[in-house]
Amino acid sequence: MLRVSQEQETTGGSQTFYNCELMSENNEKKVHGVVAEYTSVDTLLAACRRVRDAGYEKTDAFTPFPVHGIDKALGIKPTVLPWIVLGAGVTGTATALVMQVWMNAYDYPYIISGKPFLSLPAFMPVAFELTVLFASFGAFFGMWALNGLPRFSNPVFTDPRFDRVTDDRFFLYIDSKDGQFDRGGVEKLLGDTETDYVQTVVDDDSSDKVPKPFFMIWGLVAALSVIPLLIVLKMRVSHSSQPRFHVFYDMDFSPSKDAQQYSTLFRDGRAMRPDVPGTVARGEMQADLDFMTGIDMNALSVIDRPRADRLVRSFNPLYQAEAESAQESKSQDVTQAEKADEGSDSDGDKSGADADKGDSDKPDAEADAKPSVMDTTPWLSSNPLVLDEKVLANGRKNFGIYCSVCHGMNGSGNGLVNVRAQKILAQSWIPPSSLHQETLYADKYPDGKLFSTISNGIRKMPGYSGQIKTRDRWAIVAYVRALQLSQNASIDQISEAQRETILSEQSEIQKALKEKADADAKAAQEKEEKEEKEEKEEKEEKEAKDSA
Amino acid sequence: MSLAIPNGLDNTVEQPGERAPLVLGDTTYHDITEAVCQVAERKPSTSWVIGFLISFALLQWLGICILYLIYTGVGVWGNRSPVFWGWPIVNFVFWVGIGHAGTLISAILFLFRQEWRTSINRAAEAMTIFAVVCAGTFPGIHVGRAWLAFWLAPYPSLNLWMWPQFRSPLLWDVFAVSTYGTVSLLFWYMGMVPDLATFRDRSTNKWRRMAYGMLSLGWSGSSRHWMRYEKAYALLAAFAAPLVLSVHTIVSFDFAVSQVPGWHTTIFPPYFVAGAIFSGFAMVLTLMIPARKMLGLEKLITIRHLDNMCKIILATGSIVGLAYGTEFFIAWYGQVQEEKFAFTNRAFGPYWWAYWTMVTCNVISPQLFWFKKLRTTPWMIVSVCIFVNIGMWFERFVIVVTSLSRDYLPSAWAYFSPTWVDWSMLIGSFGLFFTLFLLFCRLMPVINMAETKATLAKQYHVSNDGDH
Repeated sequence: MLRVSQEQETTGGSQTFYNCELMSENNEKKVHGVVAEYTSVDTLLAACRRVRDAGYEKTDAFTPFPVHGIDKALGIKPTVLPWIVLGAGVTGTATALVMQVWMNAYDYPYIISGKPFLSLPAFMPVAFELTVLFASFGAFFGMWALNGLPRFSNPVFTDPRFDRVTDDRFFLYIDSKDGQFDRGGVEKLLGDTETDYVQTVVDDDSSDKVPKPFFMIWGLVAALSVIPLLIVLKMRVSHSSQPRFHVFYDMDFSPSKDAQQYSTLFRDGRAMRPDVPGTVARGEMQADLDFMTGIDMNALSVIDRPRADRLVRSFNPLYQAEAESAQESKSQDVTQAEKADEGSDSDGDKSGADADKGDSDKPDAEADAKPSVMDTTPWLSSNPLVLDEKVLANGRKNFGIYCSVCHGMNGSGNGLVNVRAQKILAQSWIPPSSLHQETLYADKYPDGKLFSTISNGIRKMPGYSGQIKTRDRWAIVAYVRALQLSQNASIDQISEAQRETILSEQSEIQKALKEKADADAKAAQEKEEKEEKEEKEEKEEKEAKDSA
Repeated sequence: MSLAIPNGLDNTVEQPGERAPLVLGDTTYHDITEAVCQVAERKPSTSWVIGFLISFALLQWLGICILYLIYTGVGVWGNRSPVFWGWPIVNFVFWVGIGHAGTLISAILFLFRQEWRTSINRAAEAMTIFAVVCAGTFPGIHVGRAWLAFWLAPYPSLNLWMWPQFRSPLLWDVFAVSTYGTVSLLFWYMGMVPDLATFRDRSTNKWRRMAYGMLSLGWSGSSRHWMRYEKAYALLAAFAAPLVLSVHTIVSFDFAVSQVPGWHTTIFPPYFVAGAIFSGFAMVLTLMIPARKMLGLEKLITIRHLDNMCKIILATGSIVGLAYGTEFFIAWYGQVQEEKFAFTNRAFGPYWWAYWTMVTCNVISPQLFWFKKLRTTPWMIVSVCIFVNIGMWFERFVIVVTSLSRDYLPSAWAYFSPTWVDWSMLIGSFGLFFTLFLLFCRLMPVINMAETKATLAKQYHVSNDGDH
């Protein structure tokens, strides 16, 4: 107590205990409590225990850092904050799951990377993040709310010495609302602890001192920040005859085009771009023309030079420019017939279809008395591939994929397409040729010609150069030759050892087939008899019933 | 620069039976307040002003580049088929990784009661937030139409009539990084409130007092407040710890969930998290060592702190090295042709220089920290850490660019080359980072005063008696 009065005198004596009381009565400044200052954790804790033991409950300590053990020393109860956080966390999980399930599985379901619409494992990361986010909001805002902060006007702040509470001083405070608060007693109690300074806490009037410009600036910022929102809101609810404003027009309406469309981007108006003159696209360089066409080009250039040149040009775009100028000068010389024939020779030329139209009407008759180009062409007589098992296997595979649907697996011309077409297009259908006609044998129909037919088509058959690679077409030619051989070979062409096994196999198969046929016939007969019998029995039963 | 450690400042020696002090010298609570507050209260030093001007200029340059990008389109970057992710994503992953050390120091070390974290956590947390700001910029402008980036949010749109696609890791990433940024900000700000109250109470200028008064929310240091505050802090730490692991895990999902060779591996999440902590600690040290010198905080950020962080760099660096080896082993062991090629291509393909830079910086350089002399000599630590930062940027470059430039379709292979905009944005992002960090050093309490005082109080208690 002695030290208290000394302290008050040294600070100028302006605030004695009695003065304080007078002031509080005269200026209506309410006394909130009494505060005492300490310089160390230990003295503060000792004082706290003393105050608690004296029976005060509405007490608090103010410290620059969390002092451990003070909750026990003051009798502070644990906080409910963890429960708030738990609630917030559970809300976060639920929000995330409901949001994702509703958005991706119900309101706007669409298939993505084969995952189910309601894909819980994929929803887990976001559920985890929102749980953490909500729980953190719960901890952060919950803590401030429980602490009653922000609170800018606090009676304890009126004491200038209280500024050191955030530096190195510790304060113990007894509130006037405490049941046994009595200013004299409290002063005495605190004065007896290890303190240099005891003071009453009076009302804080600092909130009146907030400078006016602060409010003006705050109001201005708030008003300005509302303006964009209002504009957006007005746009949302009002109608306008003006087209929408596009910040980046070409990104909202991209000038990209589909194939065959008109484009304003290029001078020629074409959306599809031709090859740059003098270049060859990757994989389109075709050097070995014999291999590409099935024609002996050296021989052809002797017989029909212009046609050979046209073929060279059509296969090798590097000659494109040259070809264009050549075509201009020679266009008068090229006869209509030649133009039409060109199609059947060149791989990429669409006019091939027209050339074959004449044939398709009368498939078996010769179109003209004049020998056809097809006959005069010097076709390659043998397959340019080195024939081995691998090539034949490849030919068989490709024949199975592309040819067998019409020509049948064995080349007899009775594939599934033909079977079906006979049923539904009986009048107009031109059946595919059997590959086993003599006219198609290698001596009358050279390998090169067969290759050309596969490439460019004939009659109803379309050209396959666009679908089957050149090498594979040659493999098909080889396989067709093997097929032809398989249907017309005599047993003498086979070695003796094989001959015997084949013959025995054949007889076994025939035997088995016969047995099966007999068994089937027998079974069918039995079934018929049985059915008849059953029918009869049923009839008899009925009759019996009717008569009854 | 000599190796001089002032007398009484060497707390790296282990004394059996007693704890090494974390606050050095004959320090009082008030000394801590003075040491931290003088940083913000005195006039800025010349080195600060120069540093700030350079950083701010770089930040302006970044802004100009972003405007140019938005106005012209993403073609100004070097991103070309097949490398569509390029530098923006490299920079994004790099900066997100940098941030992770801050949360690790503030949350995981807090949960493990590692008290040496107290004097470095504030700056590290600030670094986290600034790094996330840098990181968030890149995907934001990488979406192509940056003004429509808000379409990533699940809001009921009247124009789109659709919702985001929650089965994609890219959307998880949006949630992970934004949650991470938000929670880090809350954590950082909450930790600063008592110290901002110190600033408020010390300020003599009326406006300054009002600004800090607003920011400190009327903090009074009440014991009840402290109790709830500590509870909330512990809870936030408990959330931030798994959060920090989840963020880089999800960032790694951006890669691992795809099927690109070299990306489609289950090792990515732990490998990315270890790399993130590794790079983050290197960045903390790169920043803190010059800062403690310039700001005069050697008594609070002691050699022991640096030593401990170096040990973490050594540990995580070794994990990263092990992960590199494991990747190669699995590529060989898995016998998938494309995977095998992807890794051979990394080490010996056209980007061999990037790969070996990465290995040298990330695997070899941290091994120097086995030597205590290197762990306790600041300039050597900074040198190694700068190497680690370079190496970790290259790690992301190697992952993003080498895998994309040569994937399944050889006809589409191409070599990636950055443009001047790529370079400018990488350098500009450092401008953004340092501008924010230097402002933080001037305006905010760089060291957690309250917690450091609590550590000091414990130190007093240990030396007096074992009462509490």
